Amino acid sequence: MPRNTRRQILAAAALVPLLAAAPAFAQTLEEKLVIVTSFSRDVTGPFVEAFQKKHPGTKVEIQSRSTTAGVSFIRETRSNPPDMFWASAPDAFEVLKKGNLLQKYTPAATGIAQRVGPSPVNDPEGFYFGFAASGYGIMYNTRYMRANNLPVPKEWDDLKKPAYFGHVGISAPSRSGTTHLTVETILQGEGWNKGWATMLEIAGNFASVSDRSFGVPDAVNSGQYGVGIVIDFFGLSAKASGFPVEFVYPTITTMVPANIGIVAGSRNANAARAFVEFLLSEEGQTILLDPKIQRLPVRTAIYDKAPAGYPNPFKDTSLGSRVTFDNDASETRYELLNSLFDRMITFRLKELTEAWKAIHAATAAVERSKSAEGGRLLAEARRLATTVPVTEAQAKDPQIAGAFQEKKPDRPVAARQAEFEEQWDAFARRNYAEAKTLAERAAAAR
Amino acid sequence: MTGVSIDRVSFDYGGAPILDAVSLDVAKGEFFAFLGPSGSGKTTLLRLVAGFGIPTAGTIRVGDRDVTSVPPWKRNVGMVFQSYALWPHMTVAGNVAFGLEQRGMARADIAAKVRAGLDLVGLSHLADRRPAQLSGGQQQRVALARTLVIEPEVLLLDEPLSNLDAKLRVEMRQEIAALQRKLGLTTIYVTHDQEEANAVADRIAVLDGGKIQQIGAPIDLYDRPANRFVAAFLGTANMIEGSLAAGGRFAAEGFALDGVSGAAGPACLSFRPQDVSLAAGGGAGRILHREFLGGTIRYAVALGPHRIVVDTVHHREAPVFAPGSQVGVTVDPGRVVVLR
Amino acid sequence: MTAVLATSAPVRRASLLARWRATPFHLVCAGIVAAFLVAFLVVPVGSVVFIAFWDGQSFTLVHFADFFRTSIMIESTWNSIYVAVMTVAFATLLAVPLAYITVRFRFRGAALIQTLGVIPLVMPPFVGAVAMQLVYGRNGSINLLLMDWFGFRLPFMEGLNGVIFVEGLHYFPFILLNLSASLANIDSAMEESAQNLGASGWRLFSRIVFPLAMPGYIAGAALVFAKVFDDLATPLLLNVTNMLAPQAYLRVTSVGLADPMGYVISTILVVLSVVAVWLSMLSLRNRDFATQQRGGGGLAKRDLGRAESVAAYGFVAFALLLALSPHIGILLLSFGTIWSFSVLPDAFTLAHYSTIFRDAGGFMANTVLYCGIAALIDVVLGTMIAYIAMRTGLPGRNILDQVAMAAVAVPGLVLGIGILRTYFSVELPFGGGSLATFWLMLAIAYSVRRLPYALRSCTAALQQLHHSLEEAAENLGASKASTLTRIVVPLMAGGILAGFVTSFATAAVELSATLLLVTRDATAPLSYGIYVYMQSPAGRGPGAALGVVAVVVVAVATWLSYRVAEQDRAKRTRNGMAI
Repeated sequence: MPRNTRRQILAAAALVPLLAAAPAFAQTLEEKLVIVTSFSRDVTGPFVEAFQKKHPGTKVEIQSRSTTAGVSFIRETRSNPPDMFWASAPDAFEVLKKGNLLQKYTPAATGIAQRVGPSPVNDPEGFYFGFAASGYGIMYNTRYMRANNLPVPKEWDDLKKPAYFGHVGISAPSRSGTTHLTVETILQGEGWNKGWATMLEIAGNFASVSDRSFGVPDAVNSGQYGVGIVIDFFGLSAKASGFPVEFVYPTITTMVPANIGIVAGSRNANAARAFVEFLLSEEGQTILLDPKIQRLPVRTAIYDKAPAGYPNPFKDTSLGSRVTFDNDASETRYELLNSLFDRMITFRLKELTEAWKAIHAATAAVERSKSAEGGRLLAEARRLATTVPVTEAQAKDPQIAGAFQEKKPDRPVAARQAEFEEQWDAFARRNYAEAKTLAERAAAAR
Repeated sequence: MTGVSIDRVSFDYGGAPILDAVSLDVAKGEFFAFLGPSGSGKTTLLRLVAGFGIPTAGTIRVGDRDVTSVPPWKRNVGMVFQSYALWPHMTVAGNVAFGLEQRGMARADIAAKVRAGLDLVGLSHLADRRPAQLSGGQQQRVALARTLVIEPEVLLLDEPLSNLDAKLRVEMRQEIAALQRKLGLTTIYVTHDQEEANAVADRIAVLDGGKIQQIGAPIDLYDRPANRFVAAFLGTANMIEGSLAAGGRFAAEGFALDGVSGAAGPACLSFRPQDVSLAAGGGAGRILHREFLGGTIRYAVALGPHRIVVDTVHHREAPVFAPGSQVGVTVDPGRVVVLR
Repeated sequence: MTAVLATSAPVRRASLLARWRATPFHLVCAGIVAAFLVAFLVVPVGSVVFIAFWDGQSFTLVHFADFFRTSIMIESTWNSIYVAVMTVAFATLLAVPLAYITVRFRFRGAALIQTLGVIPLVMPPFVGAVAMQLVYGRNGSINLLLMDWFGFRLPFMEGLNGVIFVEGLHYFPFILLNLSASLANIDSAMEESAQNLGASGWRLFSRIVFPLAMPGYIAGAALVFAKVFDDLATPLLLNVTNMLAPQAYLRVTSVGLADPMGYVISTILVVLSVVAVWLSMLSLRNRDFATQQRGGGGLAKRDLGRAESVAAYGFVAFALLLALSPHIGILLLSFGTIWSFSVLPDAFTLAHYSTIFRDAGGFMANTVLYCGIAALIDVVLGTMIAYIAMRTGLPGRNILDQVAMAAVAVPGLVLGIGILRTYFSVELPFGGGSLATFWLMLAIAYSVRRLPYALRSCTAALQQLHHSLEEAAENLGASKASTLTRIVVPLMAGGILAGFVTSFATAAVELSATLLLVTRDATAPLSYGIYVYMQSPAGRGPGAALGVVAVVVVAVATWLSYRVAEQDRAKRTRNGMAI
């Protein structure tokens, strides 16, 4: 997951994801174990329960916070810190590590994979440990697909098809770390310009852009729209719970580990280590197969127990290995990408989808009329509807990207965010309106 | 010995003067009334005595205690409100007990006093009712009992009868007057109804425009009004503007009267309708209008440019004048009042 | 005897307290209220507003200039105003006939309407929006049926109109309640004299009855406007982002301090809402007919004709069905197994209820505790504020009142951020953690947000309390404090109770501040629990079940309190006439 590390307390605390539940280990373990987590209670509950059963002397207390709020919380509570941090985003753990807020530990567990997709499972320096893997992909509602006669999508490119117009949903990358990573992965996999073109063309089919990651699986589950771009466990656990949904990994995706770490200064370090061991143990890893959790174990032997069709990134090497994730590039343009996506797609979805509706219609018309003029106009319309106002180089430029980051004395003074955003907004409106007009002319051209 | 002494009291409300240097003394045990039209300041003055508001100037004494700045709850001045202000969430007994409880009296004593208080107004049998279950007259009695049980130094009554019907009003005022005499309580009674004031009060202060117009016994006020306002406000008065000559002759346009006593100069002649007699067979007056009231007949009579009211005692033999007829008009100079 | 001639006495220099018609007791009350408001409303909100004017080194207006230069902000502002105005219009269409029918006619089930009419308010807005999607969404039950039968869909939930639809159904009770109260207070002589002069029917309603009830209508409409203007959950759940509140939320929560625009938007939200509420109060100045004409006993009720009956019952049934459709949706969801692209869930189960009764008891206990404390704080402060504002001349008394009322216009998000910002670094003794995340802070945040409701109830109750009832007590020896506790508070009991219940019920479903301030499951309230359970990819059944429990608990509490209030009123009145 990308690094949304240095947002400060407020922004962080305001982010609202919730997670819950924790375990504690036994024997000579401390009586209490406090875990800050961004996972939902569906995920934490079974682990905590099983851990407490195994170590009855330890009571686990779960503090549910969003990833960013959790980081801020640990930073702010140095004097009396929680014992563990348990979340998906590797970049959040990087921040804690750099802030000397984690302690080293070498898990005793054996049989754990070394790498998943492009990344190592554990922090090479031993400050945090991967316990499960997640990838990104497409989830769809089978009843919905049938009722609307939609083909089953397999790749991101499939979602560009006119057939999916109004049937696809996503959450905004500014709101959802998982979506951010998905978008970043597409951009890195296809290159900045082509990646944005793909993104904008898919966006032409969006029914809505949700502000919560969870809004997407929710809408697909209930059939508000048919296809959603989500992290795997949303799709897999919904399917396992009986919803008529399926999940596929496109070729361009990435696998990232979800992690746990022991907070520096923990007063219950024995229990914390016991929890890490439990998570990596056969018993703990098996819990990941729970229908409500459905994350990919890092202990490779567990896949033998998994139901048929359970994705196995250690066997299926195509899974997530096509893209080598460039963390530095992602970090520099993190905020910029979020803002650009909102400007180009979230806030102008109506204009964008209208443009694409016209383009789809014109494409069909031009195919019939074979008009050269129509083809030329259509190409121009497509160009307008697939272009972003920022080049890859600009996205790295501290003068521009810096405008979206927290102001710090050691950062150069950048231009103002609000000015860029207004420019981009104007760009989007102008291009989409023009694309629509051109497409309509193309459709009419003989 | 004075019961209440009001010395040069003024009061403003939001910059508008309500009372202007009002002074009066109420004797201990006296039944005193503040009488005036609405807006005259009478209720404000009463509320100042109770402590609801502090005069902008002047002092108020109860007995020999200066209470001008004493808050209401420390005055021991009992007030009965126009609306009775019975607390709807308490029973009759609860209402009556309230003041005693505030004085920290023992429970048993309170019960006894409440019973005695309700006996006094004849409502012991309704002690457990809620105010809403009582008639207007009963509510009035509860309000009275509630005030009396605290044995106030002064009893203040703010238009206590205005919410009752006419018959009950007469009954209640007699009851109140009887109670007052029985208890010998210094009492101030505010009303706009002169009949009520005349009926119950030992003395009356007539207020208008925030000033005292006249203080005196009811009959004195009626017979010897100090000014035009008092003359007109207490009963009906005929008033004719003119001038009084040194010889005792009062003259106005179309009207003259000899034998009037008073200093020479411009004057207003005031006399009551019953102080005029009419004679048949023509004269200066012309009957404008006639009202038969039973014991009397009231005529409106034009006398030159003046218009006067005349009451004649009616019996079978008495003459009755038709509207339009000319009559002789005679005013008894011994009964007129000269106002300046 | 002659008139007493008197020379003027020296003018008294009354003490300040006397001039203010106040006692030390009043000062203490005012001090408590002011301290509370400053600590938990003014300073936190101020700390948020401050960022909007701060460029890191000095005061600046450049962020505001940015706001007005940014087209999406201008568009969002107009969208928010449009949605708020249209919601008021839609809510009016529902509420005015309902209020009129219940007050005007002898109508069976009038009490039912009044009670059911409150229920939309006790539905957590985000739960309501989820349920509305299931019922009215693009592929909700209604549209699936329409598709099946007629081959078309109605876009109930699309874009701004969807927001208006959901918000209108959620907030129309504010108009219904206020308007009903106003109508019930109209002196029947007002209406009769108009009839006597020849007015009837529509003319009577539009020229006499409605204008007389105007204060209630305006108060309700202003509340609806302000709530809708600030509401975050509904547009977000409908994925409408081009409005001010969602823009502020998205900005503040995802981009952070580097971007002051979120705080600029928050400031503008607060200002516009306060202006709306203030304008409505201004328009009511000198127009409070209802309270001047006390003891009117309400409009004369009459029987409905046959055709009228059909129309009235038909409308009531339609309106209630509409208003309760989120509840029906959430009920189905709570009993359903899988509900996906179908008119009804595939099958029904009690499993979700057993889940929550096993796991979620703590949420309920916490809600009762926090909301109880919050409502208690509200009625205590509300009574004090009303009392100070209406019974003393203390300078600044109206400021207290207005500041407290302004809380109605402060989005929960802004308050939550402000409280975090102000108190996060304050450590509790004995390692209790940050004051901002201490559970009591949640109760305090609720109390600040709901204070205006309690204050309105208390003010109305005190307005109806004749001053002489207090004076009589003082006259009999009761001090101000004693008068307040023995006379004023018992007599305001109905209003205070109503305030308590409104505060309690609405605090129970407050989410935006909750999500910011809750840190641990163990100290989390029901609204948080519902939110957490609703986030499960395995289905929202348990969340829905918890939502149903919340609605039932709050509805029962509301109904019970009305019962108590009714009995209390019955004891004090005769023939239904208030004294």
